[in-house]
Amino acid sequence: MRKAFKRIFRTGWLNFKRNSYLSFGTTGVMVLVLLLFSGLMVLNYVSGQIVSGLENKVDVSVYFKNDASEDQVLAVKQDLESQSAVARVTYISKEKALADFKAKHAGDALIQQSLAELADNPLQSSLNIKAKDSTQYASIVTFLEGNKFRPVVDKINFYENEAVINRVQSISRGVGNWGLVVTLILAFIAIMVTFNTIRLTIYNQKNEIEIMRLVGGSNWHIKAPYLIEGGLYGIFAAVIAIVVFYPALWFVSSKVGVLIPGISLIGYFVTNVLQFVPLIFALGIALGIISSWIAIRRFLKV
Amino acid sequence: MIELKDISTIYDDFLALDNVNLEIKDGEFVSLVGPSGAGKSTLLGLMTRELTPSKGEILIDGINIADLSHAEVPLLRRKIGTIFQDFKLLSRKNAFENVAFALEVSGAEPEEINEDVPKVLNIVGLADKAKNFPHQLSGGEKQRLAIARALIHRPRILLADEPTGNLDMLNGYDVVKLLMKINEFGTTVILATHNREIVNIVGRRVISMEKGRVVRDQIEQGKYII
Repeated sequence: MRKAFKRIFRTGWLNFKRNSYLSFGTTGVMVLVLLLFSGLMVLNYVSGQIVSGLENKVDVSVYFKNDASEDQVLAVKQDLESQSAVARVTYISKEKALADFKAKHAGDALIQQSLAELADNPLQSSLNIKAKDSTQYASIVTFLEGNKFRPVVDKINFYENEAVINRVQSISRGVGNWGLVVTLILAFIAIMVTFNTIRLTIYNQKNEIEIMRLVGGSNWHIKAPYLIEGGLYGIFAAVIAIVVFYPALWFVSSKVGVLIPGISLIGYFVTNVLQFVPLIFALGIALGIISSWIAIRRFLKV
Repeated sequence: MIELKDISTIYDDFLALDNVNLEIKDGEFVSLVGPSGAGKSTLLGLMTRELTPSKGEILIDGINIADLSHAEVPLLRRKIGTIFQDFKLLSRKNAFENVAFALEVSGAEPEEINEDVPKVLNIVGLADKAKNFPHQLSGGEKQRLAIARALIHRPRILLADEPTGNLDMLNGYDVVKLLMKINEFGTTVILATHNREIVNIVGRRVISMEKGRVVRDQIEQGKYII
């Protein structure tokens, strides 16, 4: 059994090696497909980071009138917390708001001075609300507008980031869709090229195949070497794609890092190397095997 | 036992076999004679399921070979050895490897290969040429090597399609003598040929074909008659 596997692998390898020029072209097209696919993954990651960064900045703040009691504020807080769309509500009391304000402007003598001159705390107590996702802010605002404590509410601030988020999402979706279309077209071409290479191998080995059938070679023994050959194109393409991808990513990563702070492409793909590399290999091998499978179905009679 | 029942084979418009009925018993030596295009090769091709009949059925040991699955066809072909006029040897492999190849592709273990190949090369008289490549062998030797390969699975039936066609009389005679020896060990031999001398030397059952039909079936001491 082991010997049989060895024979199948050896034959597949020899087919691959003897097709040198053809192998070069076939592998090249596959490399392009795999690189394009990797590019799509990068795009996906970058746009995902941008969107989640923006989403974190969205919140709703409710400011209460000066005559609102702490009980009333806390009652609103409780009401909000019972809403399913709400992720978190933070209560900022007048005193806390003042302390924050002082700390923020600690270096500004003029502000410090004016504050000292005031007898009363001029700041309002407020609630800061985070929603579970960015589409739910509108409904939270509506809920607040209809609340029974509405009279003690001074104003509701809804920091509108939604339009920006939608824009980023639609751009990345558009680029992603086109990228996917191009990748699929290229994958189709790669399959056709590999298919043709395997077809030539089969044609060149007409005699051997005929003899194998004649002497009762099992179907598996006749077909498997061509599947191996196809798989090898995929493996080599994956190796080349990865060798090209990481240095290119390293080069691009610093530039993207300048444009979008807090994003590290190389960091992400190095951390996820154990998912990314096997995925590229699996994709390459699948492309190769699918192509040879089609060629075998069409041209190899057993 | 091979039974052909009402076999007809049509290629496009050409009727290659026309309602052939035959029964070949185990251990027989059958010479299948007739001019080119009589349907001899088609008949052999049907037995290994290289070809499928347009009509009728072929039973080998009572099994209709049209019913065999894809996976079972190789097993049928291991039961039936085949040799051809053009030998069909692999030029890049030496004599030993050509025979071993037949075992390798059917998944045999190396021990089995190393044991069986020299034996069968010995039977066909090529024990000392195991390392020779086909181009280093004479025509007769090439055909004997092809016979060795056909015998490696210990087939019950040996089909020979014009095995002497590329050989001179002497070498052809050697090959036929070898086929007769194999037949003596119990293997059914079906020899398709249009070589009159060879058929007359064998002097066993002779089936004559013409235009896809069996026109004569001499059960014993047959002669080549047109």
